[in-house]
Amino acid sequence: MIKFDQVTKRYPGSDEVLKNVNLHIEAGEFVFVTGHSGAGKSTLLKLIAAIERPTSGTVLIANQNVSQLKSSAIPFLRRRFGLIFQDHKLLYDRNCFENVILPLRINGVSGNEAAKRVRAALDKVGLLHKEKAMPITLSGGEQQRLAIARAVVSRPSILIADEPTGNLDASYAADIMAIFYAFNQVGVTVIMATHDALGMSATQNRVLHLDQGKLTQHTPTLTDPKQDIGQSESNIEKIAS
Amino acid sequence: MSHWLNHQLQAIKLVLSRMRANLLSSFMICLVVGVAMCLPSLFYIGVDHLSKLTDHMQNETEISLFLKLDVSHDTISEIDALLAKNPAIKQYHLVTKDEAWQQLQEKSKSSPAVSDAINQLGKNPLPDAFFIQAKSVAPDDLASLKASLQSIPGVEQALLNTDWAKRLATLITLSKKLILFITILLAIVLLVIIGNTVRMQILTQQDEIEVSYLIGATSSFIRTPFLYAGILYGLFGGLFAVLMILGITQIFNYSITDLSNLYSSDFRLTLFNGSLFLAVISAAILIGWLGSYLAVTHAITSITQLQKMVFHD
Repeated sequence: MIKFDQVTKRYPGSDEVLKNVNLHIEAGEFVFVTGHSGAGKSTLLKLIAAIERPTSGTVLIANQNVSQLKSSAIPFLRRRFGLIFQDHKLLYDRNCFENVILPLRINGVSGNEAAKRVRAALDKVGLLHKEKAMPITLSGGEQQRLAIARAVVSRPSILIADEPTGNLDASYAADIMAIFYAFNQVGVTVIMATHDALGMSATQNRVLHLDQGKLTQHTPTLTDPKQDIGQSESNIEKIAS
Repeated sequence: MSHWLNHQLQAIKLVLSRMRANLLSSFMICLVVGVAMCLPSLFYIGVDHLSKLTDHMQNETEISLFLKLDVSHDTISEIDALLAKNPAIKQYHLVTKDEAWQQLQEKSKSSPAVSDAINQLGKNPLPDAFFIQAKSVAPDDLASLKASLQSIPGVEQALLNTDWAKRLATLITLSKKLILFITILLAIVLLVIIGNTVRMQILTQQDEIEVSYLIGATSSFIRTPFLYAGILYGLFGGLFAVLMILGITQIFNYSITDLSNLYSSDFRLTLFNGSLFLAVISAAILIGWLGSYLAVTHAITSITQLQKMVFHD
């Protein structure tokens, strides 16, 4: 699904933000991207979402080489993704319904079909009763859920989330994580950047750890003694393959 | 195709609803476009009609040949014979000084002040004169005929009545040039105004544009509503301009009718000038489109740079 081969990224006037990164994310995986501030998490996500292009190496997304893709083809590639941002990027001049319908407009879906899908997406994140509410009246957790609804309304196969629980307190964060797991259960690939070690230590998901631009840890977290050994083995197999 | 059409319709609907939401400012912009389009059009109408009028007048050309005050009857007969032989002359007639004097006195009877002044002159100051109509109305032919007549002995002065018409025609050519430049300058002003308006709209919708890009909107998807905004400003502005032109020519026509009645002419301003209206509206639409195109292209470049800051390290 997503394959990085010897990917290096350097911005003009800066050092290499990513160095020789190799990775392979299969369809249906749930992957965490961790690392300190400045480790290159956001650059990795930008490369996956085709917002940036690699300086060298190849990024393959659904067998398409992003470096060789024409600029005019990028928007169509991006429609395969649902993007969720730390600061939500909601539009505060319109209500929840209008926020969620935006990707459908871009995809050319309109009328009853669009309304039906918007309500289905709002329902999945538990905001169906707030469709007429303005985003500013929602709590932080609700705003993030609204952002998720917008990301999933066009039924993308890959969800990319940048610290979706970063600004939320624990109970809200758990809600959000549950929603992501639910999507992953139905086959959506989830790639989530986080620096919240606690949030993922209890999970059995693969972790891509970035340290100063290098992908140093490519295994499930073994620091947690409660970790299920069988699950970590299966993850190692996945990495090996 | 239907997807494309659907997209266009949605964009137009979106723009119209935005315009309705900001009704007053949209109205103002259209009004500005209307006034700016109306001004050169009115100049054009004025000059166009003046030039038609002078063309008409130049066809009624006449050379007036004033003789010296002391010419004898023999000289007059000699000149008469010369004129009769001249092949360039269509027809001519003589008005003697006595006839002219009588005509003047007849005409001045209605105004006592003038007739008093004439009576005080005592003796007749008027010369004998021939009024000549040439066969050709071409300005060059007329000028050479005038020169040849001027050289006849006993002639004081040959006057070509088209002189002033020619001067007017030159002035009109000058005015047409002036209108061209005024039009170009106003078009630039409109381009800037519409471009700036669209730029402001883009700024207020920057978040939406940024998010739309991130979730896979194409540049044309982003650009289309703004292009339609420019086109609609042009269209409504052009319609305003047409309405203003109609109103103003109608008001002018009242006075012009009075004036041309005095000259027993049926001269009027043409009220409905279809090709002019079409030109005004299409020029306004073109300017609107171009202004918004420039603004949106410039803005999109900067927003696509900005959207790369989307994920935080």
